[in-house]
Amino acid sequence: MSNERFTEPEVNENENITPSDELNNNVSVSSAPETDDSILDFDDDPLSATSVSKKSLVVFFLIDTSGSMKGKKMGELNTVMEELIPEIRRVGEADTDVKVAVLTFSTEVRWMYANPIPIEDFEWARLRASGVTSMGAAFKELNHRMSRNSFLNSPSLSFAPVIFLMTDGYPSDDYKEGLRELQTNSWYKFGLKAALGIGQEANDNILAEFTGSKDTVVHAYSGGQLAQMIKIIAVTSAQIGSKSMTLSDDTGQELGEENVFAAKQKLLGQQIQELVNTTGDGDDVPFDTGW
Amino acid sequence: MFNGFSHSVMGASHEKTNLVCQDSSAFKVEDHYAIAVVADGHGSKKHFRSHLGSKFAVEAAIEAIDRYYEDREALEANLPDNYKLILKNIEKQIISNWNVRIEKHLAENPVTEEEKSKFTKEEFEAILPESYYGSTLVVAVAGENYTFGVQIGDGSLVAIFEDGKAVMPMEYNEAAPANVTASVCNSNAAGMFSSFYAPNKRLIALYGSTDGLYTSFGSEYDFLDYHTIITSQLVNLETFKTVIKNNLSKRSHFGTEDDISLACIYDEAFLNEKLDLINQRVAENKKAAAERKTAALSKQVEVE
Repeated sequence: MSNERFTEPEVNENENITPSDELNNNVSVSSAPETDDSILDFDDDPLSATSVSKKSLVVFFLIDTSGSMKGKKMGELNTVMEELIPEIRRVGEADTDVKVAVLTFSTEVRWMYANPIPIEDFEWARLRASGVTSMGAAFKELNHRMSRNSFLNSPSLSFAPVIFLMTDGYPSDDYKEGLRELQTNSWYKFGLKAALGIGQEANDNILAEFTGSKDTVVHAYSGGQLAQMIKIIAVTSAQIGSKSMTLSDDTGQELGEENVFAAKQKLLGQQIQELVNTTGDGDDVPFDTGW
Repeated sequence: MFNGFSHSVMGASHEKTNLVCQDSSAFKVEDHYAIAVVADGHGSKKHFRSHLGSKFAVEAAIEAIDRYYEDREALEANLPDNYKLILKNIEKQIISNWNVRIEKHLAENPVTEEEKSKFTKEEFEAILPESYYGSTLVVAVAGENYTFGVQIGDGSLVAIFEDGKAVMPMEYNEAAPANVTASVCNSNAAGMFSSFYAPNKRLIALYGSTDGLYTSFGSEYDFLDYHTIITSQLVNLETFKTVIKNNLSKRSHFGTEDDISLACIYDEAFLNEKLDLINQRVAENKKAAAERKTAALSKQVEVE
């Protein structure tokens, strides 16, 4: 016997009520159904055990948990991060699966979770501070994990990640070597990068080396500012990061990936600066004078 | 006795832009072998006839495989020792069949002014005619105690052998450049195929899919488990077909909005024999997924 069927895309509005006769014909040519939301909603689907993934965005937080962060800085950071999660959750609701990965660095570097966690499942673990500032080691670890063979192994398509660095001091290891390694990583190259310096000791030049631009570096000198800045950067970068940008120049030509990245990073810098400039100084006491 | 199904759905993104579905799929069952084929026509501007290219790729593959099975005894006698050479020849034959089809189509349907209007004269002249029809291709073939497949470009091939585990048996061609989408339209297309041959193994089910399906999953585990669940339902294929079609539409609609094609062939009698095992695998996979989720949510940092 011979039984052959070609399935070309069906255009069939009555997909549910028109039984296919593919098994009765030798050759059947059909075309793709128009998607009608009513046919997509059914409860008796054993296949729903495996969920549908949208395009994903991983937001990486690199957080300094060295001893100098102890006390009010760490306490404020923990509180603001707990408050921030629901805000980031809203960013991804529409059409992006947002995931979060948190890398802490002090004497050791450690991930909060073994893999990026979907934002709806993410729970902040209140961090403790101690030890030195191994920022270079953190850059190396990030480079190692930011790969299709590791953290970014989801089959679903990905936006370039958001990478957000927060620190209050000068690195105690060779951060330049770590950064050089990280700079070879394509996810880093095309990722949206921002950094927050906390208190007087944080060096904005080092942070600008990490982000590639001063526009995406901000500084918080008090608890109130810290909360504002973290929210501004995290929410803005997640919003821009999850935006599908089909750019075209004046001639109507499609622009390549590099141009999309450059436009996104520029937009992030502009928006961060605008938001920072319209934000008050905060009413609280600076970290370095008594917090 | 083999059976099968195939289905293609148009991606939501293509609906929005009034494009046609660029995927094609088909299956064919014979007494001693069966074929499942999917093809994904390239989406970009210069491949403006890729919806036809994918259809021709599917036809070309079935024609090539059928031709080898004209002398099934000789093919099956030679496969164990010479499968590499035979698969290479099948790949060449597919490309040759595809080229015959597109040349004929182009001769009968010259490029229209409307098709040309999307390009400047220089841009249009730089495009090779075969590129108009560019497509990927995944071909899966089942014999009575062996399985093989060939693939060019993106797409997936999943097999469920007698142990009931879903696996991706394709051995990827390291020579195919990673930064170039391999396509039946490439000038060295015959050298860009990946392939596999699995001898002396009874097959339960074999699937080919375009990458719109793979990219609608959050993990490879889920992707493989999906095939095991489908296999568990194939005993009621007529009823289940609607569920599969709806699910593919849902995956395209809520996932990455790409076209999706899935083609399947399976051994009906052997599936019935192994149905308890498949159902057991479905339950095990569900448990393993829950355990993975619990493990993923355990914190590893020092906390307050």
